Amino acid sequence: MPEVIPVEKQTTDIAANHHDTRVYESIFDMLPSVENPTPLVRINRLNPEPGLSLFAKLEWVNPFGSVKDRAAAYMLRELERTDSVSATRGIVEATSGNTGLSLAGMAGAKGYHATVVVPDQIPEEKKVLLKIVGAQLEVLNDSLCPTPGLGDGSINMARTHARAEPDKYVHPNQYVNQQNVQAHYETTGPEIWRQTEGKVTHLFVSLGTCGTATGTSRFLKSKNPNIRVVAVQPSAGHDVPGLRNVAQLEVSELFDRALIDDLLEIEYELAYHRALDLCRKEGLLAGPSSGLIFEGARRIAVRDKVGLGVMIFCDNVFKYTSSMVRHLPELTDNAVPRMRE
Amino acid sequence: MADYAHPEVLVDTNWVRDHLDDPKVRLVEVDVDTKSYDAGHIPGAVGFNWQTQLQDQVRRDIISQQDLGKLLSAAGIKPADTIVLYGDNSNWFACYAFWILKYYGHADVRLLNGGRLKWLNESDKPMTTEKPSPVPSNYKINGTHPELRAKLPDVLKIVEDHGQNLIDVRSTDEYTGKIIAPPGMSETAQRPGHVPTARSIPWSLAANTTDGTFKSRDELRAVYFEKGGVDAAKPTVAYCRIGERSSHTWFVLTYLLGQNNVRNYDGSWTEYGSVVGVPIER
Repeated sequence: MPEVIPVEKQTTDIAANHHDTRVYESIFDMLPSVENPTPLVRINRLNPEPGLSLFAKLEWVNPFGSVKDRAAAYMLRELERTDSVSATRGIVEATSGNTGLSLAGMAGAKGYHATVVVPDQIPEEKKVLLKIVGAQLEVLNDSLCPTPGLGDGSINMARTHARAEPDKYVHPNQYVNQQNVQAHYETTGPEIWRQTEGKVTHLFVSLGTCGTATGTSRFLKSKNPNIRVVAVQPSAGHDVPGLRNVAQLEVSELFDRALIDDLLEIEYELAYHRALDLCRKEGLLAGPSSGLIFEGARRIAVRDKVGLGVMIFCDNVFKYTSSMVRHLPELTDNAVPRMRE
Repeated sequence: MADYAHPEVLVDTNWVRDHLDDPKVRLVEVDVDTKSYDAGHIPGAVGFNWQTQLQDQVRRDIISQQDLGKLLSAAGIKPADTIVLYGDNSNWFACYAFWILKYYGHADVRLLNGGRLKWLNESDKPMTTEKPSPVPSNYKINGTHPELRAKLPDVLKIVEDHGQNLIDVRSTDEYTGKIIAPPGMSETAQRPGHVPTARSIPWSLAANTTDGTFKSRDELRAVYFEKGGVDAAKPTVAYCRIGERSSHTWFVLTYLLGQNNVRNYDGSWTEYGSVVGVPIER
């Protein structure tokens, strides 16, 4: 029988910051690392090629729900280290949602204000979530003629805020900030290496800011130069937030083409169909960018036949139900419940 | 810039920086996204909203002579001032404002080459959220320059006698009729396609995407004359969907390439594509 401690002698405190008991002092202590990696889960029913094992790295397990927590944490830490943020000087960032969620969520927990600039076409769920975590939201009106660079007006808007009101805003700028790359070089890459016991042969990523692709692949290739990095991009005209078509990559200085062994352009509708497959047949509630990556991984598995592949699944489907309905209208069939007799 | 036909209408960022305190130089920002000015602008610049301040709010037309006079007066601008226009997206709407100001006869209008993007990309160039408080002037507009503006009958005459160049500056998909208007546009037309005889030369071909500046004169010649098929000996009418993109092309042809008799058809496709009985090609 365990010793019963009298109430008056009990302390109300418990030991925190233990990954095995998952008790933490704050949300920041549960950020991913080699000691606390995001999970790898094997693809079972949907893998077309048993000789090439496919594992999904579930980045939605991160505190704010996406892979962007890593870059946001590193960028914020650097801003704090350089005294660039304070109670009066907050953050402004252009984002298609996830980085904004991470940054605003973290900023709020630390008492900094955060303004995020988003394009109008991001899902409504993301706009609401940004407000829920306390972000000042600026939505750029994109009901305008498409023109080179217009889709990136959000970046220049963020830059404008920081230039015009430098006492009020600092602009981390995930598109050029090397902390974005460093986060993945120091966490995502080492996690994968340890989790796969150094046996990983393929890394599957998507390209947005390219921080994940560059940092993770740079680390893994430093361990084994023969690892193949496969980048998957949606076809032109896509609406998958956070992903850039190859033609749009010019806005990301973090893109290192030399690290990419295969660059696959995939019809963007497949992002939604494959996400649905993952949800229904693997129990992985993957978002559309994950669906796109999985399609690329499927094709490479059939091509290469042997190996161990890791796919970075950036976030789950919860933020994209409106997008899923738009691309898969059958999801609304029988949505209206039958009247009771 | 000296290579252009009229280099005096273009100023660069250093010139603007050096004239920020010049009382005879009045900066006016006109953007596609009207939030941009509020987020930050060049010190001393006033912002004009192209939708609510450069267009008639009742009927389909550009701002009236009287209302433009009031707008310029409120901005403290005098007829003898040098107005320097700039904006986002390669000065797309700044060119629209340029055309309107020249239509109403302001003498000295210039464009900041590269617009907002060029200014933003130079870290030594200040921006502010502070809005100026100009002393109102008493700006009187004496007349218009109708030779800068094409109307529907002018366009129909071109279709009939092929007497002038007609340039469609919209995207290829709009020109071919694949789409009537870019996604999300509220101003559309009844039919897709283009005006017969019009050549497709998208407006954005005139600008460098990296910094929003205009291409060199040789590059522009290639765009319009060598590849575009524009006959330099003929007058030209440019159109788009609502007359703004075509203002950019009007500016390029008139001031950079030195073409005479260039007009902007501001009714553009939202007018032409909805007129009963006019010929359309796809």
